Amino acid sequence: MGVTKEQVESTLKSKLNPSHLEIIDTSGGCGASFAIEIVSEQFEGKRLLERHRLVNAALEEEMKQIHALSIKKAVTPGQWKQQLESEKSTSAA
Amino acid sequence: MAAVSLSPVQASLSPRLLSSHTPQSTPNLSFHSLSKPSIPFPSISLKLYNPIRPCSLIIAAAVKNLAETDLVAVPLTADEFSKKLPSKSGVYAVYDKNDDLQFIGISRNIGASVFSHLKSVPDLCSFVKFGVVDEPDRESLTQAWKSWMEEHIKTTGKVPPGNQSGNATWIRQPPKKKPDLRLTPGRHVQLTVPLEELIGKLVKENRVVAFIKGSRSAPLCGFSQRVIGILESQGIDYESVDVLDEEYNYGLRETLKKYSNWPTFPQIFVNGELIGGCDILTSMDEKGELAGLLKK
Repeated sequence: MGVTKEQVESTLKSKLNPSHLEIIDTSGGCGASFAIEIVSEQFEGKRLLERHRLVNAALEEEMKQIHALSIKKAVTPGQWKQQLESEKSTSAA
Repeated sequence: MAAVSLSPVQASLSPRLLSSHTPQSTPNLSFHSLSKPSIPFPSISLKLYNPIRPCSLIIAAAVKNLAETDLVAVPLTADEFSKKLPSKSGVYAVYDKNDDLQFIGISRNIGASVFSHLKSVPDLCSFVKFGVVDEPDRESLTQAWKSWMEEHIKTTGKVPPGNQSGNATWIRQPPKKKPDLRLTPGRHVQLTVPLEELIGKLVKENRVVAFIKGSRSAPLCGFSQRVIGILESQGIDYESVDVLDEEYNYGLRETLKKYSNWPTFPQIFVNGELIGGCDILTSMDEKGELAGLLKK
């Protein structure tokens, strides 16, 4: 058994203090593969690469057992808000 | 059979089946072998592609067809392409801005072929004529191509420049697969410099380097495959290194992870700097940021 979704979630919550976090277990139950969407103030002013590094570093322990970690989104609260609004407006249109 | 004498140029004529989807399997139809005089002249039904008012003409001799076909301005965006040009099989003729016929080709996907011409020789692709061939077997496609060629030669006395022998402007070059780069001469050869240094040298000497699992022609993991797919679809000239190659890249995985401070593969470097892995490349590609970065 690898890591659970809850483990990943609690680690990310405590280390990156995300305002939005979505974790999808893409492993089919073995706990070795996750997809993540994360919104955090800590990403402010950082390049995508650095944001991914933050997530990877936060999950350093878990990564030893995770085979694949797909970071779908790593955005700042500002970007997240923008994104939601643009989605809203396109779906309303 | 239209009695146009093709003999002086015949040997050099060959219709090219251009399909951007299957460039490797692109057959080179030889004019000679496929147009044996014994083949009964088939009625080709050439349909003028017109989404609003489709009109089909049955062409018995298909000789006047080129002249009768409407000239369409080549759209400039992929989006427009799908609206104006069919992704169907048929014959097409490309004209430059002076309305001079440059090339006649046949394709399994007219839109895609013309689009690839536009990308490779934009100056020569201003207008296009096309005729969709229903039941596009090789023979009817060749026949359609031949009738247009014959018609053009008959009226102008010239072979379109792009169809002349030795002119490679319009042929889609099969993508040359580069070999994967190797970091060391072999795992049993003592290295005189640390592996880190070799990595550093490699990523600085090559503008775009992808460290992938498996070879570039056969990536062994889905993420590596996607990265290769993105790089190739952008037409980027890149080098690849197989991190699973235990013979020539022994110890690379662990060393590279430390070198780049990045835990996973694939890893893409541009100008010596890590750009990221598959997720980052994918999201940059979606946002259209890739072209600027990689073509700098």
